[in-house]
Amino acid sequence: MVKIPFFLALSTYFSFGLLFVFGQVRDFFRKIFDFFHFSNLQGYAPICSGQEDFIVRRLYHRVQDCFGRPISSAPDVWFDIVHRYSNDHNKTMRRTSKVTRCLNLGSYNYLGFAAADEYCTPRVIETLKRFSPSTCSPRVDGVFLLFFILLLLLLSGTTTLHKELEESVANFVGKPAAIIFGMGYATNTATLPVLIGKGGLIISDSLNHNSIINGARGSGATIRVFQHNTPSHLEEVLRQHIAEGQPRTHRRWKKIVVLVEGIYSMEGELCKLPEIVAVCKKYKAYVYLDEAHSIGAVGKTGKGVCELLGVDTADVDVMMGTFTKSFGSCGGYIAGSKELIQYLKYTSPAHLYATSISPPAAQQIISSIKVILGEDGSGRGAEKLARIRENSNFFRSELQKMGFEVIGDYDSPVISIMLYNPAKIPAFSRECLKQNVAVVMSGFPAVPLLLSRARICISACHTKEDLLKALEVISQVGDLIGIKYSLAGSNKQHQEQGAKKLE
Amino acid sequence: MYVKAEPATDLNKNTEWFTYPGVWTTYLLIVFMSWLLVLSIFGCSAGMAWTIVHLCHFAVTYHFFHWKKGTPFADDQGIYNGLTWWEQIENGKQLTRNRKFLTVVPVVLHLMIGELWYLIGSHTTNYQNPMLFFITLAVFVLVVAKFPHMHKVRIFGINADH
Repeated sequence: MVKIPFFLALSTYFSFGLLFVFGQVRDFFRKIFDFFHFSNLQGYAPICSGQEDFIVRRLYHRVQDCFGRPISSAPDVWFDIVHRYSNDHNKTMRRTSKVTRCLNLGSYNYLGFAAADEYCTPRVIETLKRFSPSTCSPRVDGVFLLFFILLLLLLSGTTTLHKELEESVANFVGKPAAIIFGMGYATNTATLPVLIGKGGLIISDSLNHNSIINGARGSGATIRVFQHNTPSHLEEVLRQHIAEGQPRTHRRWKKIVVLVEGIYSMEGELCKLPEIVAVCKKYKAYVYLDEAHSIGAVGKTGKGVCELLGVDTADVDVMMGTFTKSFGSCGGYIAGSKELIQYLKYTSPAHLYATSISPPAAQQIISSIKVILGEDGSGRGAEKLARIRENSNFFRSELQKMGFEVIGDYDSPVISIMLYNPAKIPAFSRECLKQNVAVVMSGFPAVPLLLSRARICISACHTKEDLLKALEVISQVGDLIGIKYSLAGSNKQHQEQGAKKLE
Repeated sequence: MYVKAEPATDLNKNTEWFTYPGVWTTYLLIVFMSWLLVLSIFGCSAGMAWTIVHLCHFAVTYHFFHWKKGTPFADDQGIYNGLTWWEQIENGKQLTRNRKFLTVVPVVLHLMIGELWYLIGSHTTNYQNPMLFFITLAVFVLVVAKFPHMHKVRIFGINADH
């Protein structure tokens, strides 16, 4: 829930209206010019139906230089950004060989494992030499070979490393068992259709990630949405749908699953997990928690949002997470009871048919979990966790003092600076890049129309000097483009008080 | 003056923005500003300017609310491809506040034109307005298109899916 000054809302609508009108006028003239231009694709259906590429062509391409910037180094705290230029007003971008060293405020590098680490990297290289980069098979193939030919597991996608990784993750998360997939996005999209099907009810938070939405759509169950992070609305939706039953037949629902995330990546807000779990227990619905951003980044020992909010992991039925953010690797996991994991192992298509996770990536996860838990013998894990919390809280409070509208909960490493107006998105991005600070922007349709923002991800490897430099640059740019809304509000209050005193 | 922007439960990003505060004011302001613009460019009478605004308003709103189908982005995988914007707003729920507001605006414009012609220009034209027929037709088409009974109706297959 964000409070916007009314005039700002009006000007944002007007800006979008203007962009839309210009886009439509250009499209109109493009249609006229194309009418005279012969195409050798006569008789083929168009690739894009209707207007579905309008936003991409007329809004996104105008500011394409702010998105998708190529980098030529590891996404550490300081990284190299490749310069691009365009000859046709940003419709296509071309790379040059010139690079600039910039401060990284956009990578999900919460614990600093994105770059070479003194414990993890030597072990990863050793694993690379021993096991080779890819397993070249899905997880299950070795089993069938053994069954029919009684040979050793020659082509197996399941190595000792995978077994060790699954035990390590289950132990870390606090569940009896876990299953690992090679891709985080595919974990959601391949698991949800297996867990629930037609005749079931999915109730998902309105700001859930695209992978959850796609997985839910692929399952065939009825999908309903509840207002973001509002347990009372969730209860209302649950009561209404349990009372009504399935659409048309009004029979009982076969299963009800509630999908929530630990930290919402665009807002930086923590989920109200204790209340939501209480509501789900009351109405006997399953809870599916996606901890992509919170695992390893929050909580006293990094065990995620359950530890931070004091929820017993036995109360959350399915815990999902990814290794791309805090562990510096790739892939995703599902953790749950032994029966659930056994079931997933013989039904999930990502387990049966997709290539298993690469061995060096698996070793990176195992090593980083050891560092976080302190099992490598040094106190680096605890130090990293303390530093990321300190850094995020410092950065957030400094930004608020400067007068920026900042959303996101205390302790969350994701900080969103609100811009509202669409024209400020490229302005902020380009001005920051000129001063060698790289930030990530989000606009419509990834976020609601009025609420465009710049999203900052704090890392445990950001030093105090890095953060101070970032604050200085952001403050300068903020003054230039006028996004210190809180300051304007408090200034007005001072003026009113001053006027009253004069009277 | 602050307004709250509550995240809506509407999954359709194409229409979700319409439930936020400030949309009605922006709409009315744009209509009013375009009336001022027409007055300053053409230098015609107030009633004639309103007529021009009304006809342009009809053309624009009919095209974008009741003719264009689908959404301007590909994220939703085309589930709204057969629905016009009017049929998409608020998940197809009829007779909501937003829909009533949008139905009333062309009627009010029509009334304003009628009033202004009567009060200002009619004594020179013997109470006859040559554009009255087109304006009435425009209002009629717009209001009928917004009826609940016309939800997903395609007369004579005009603008239907393939």
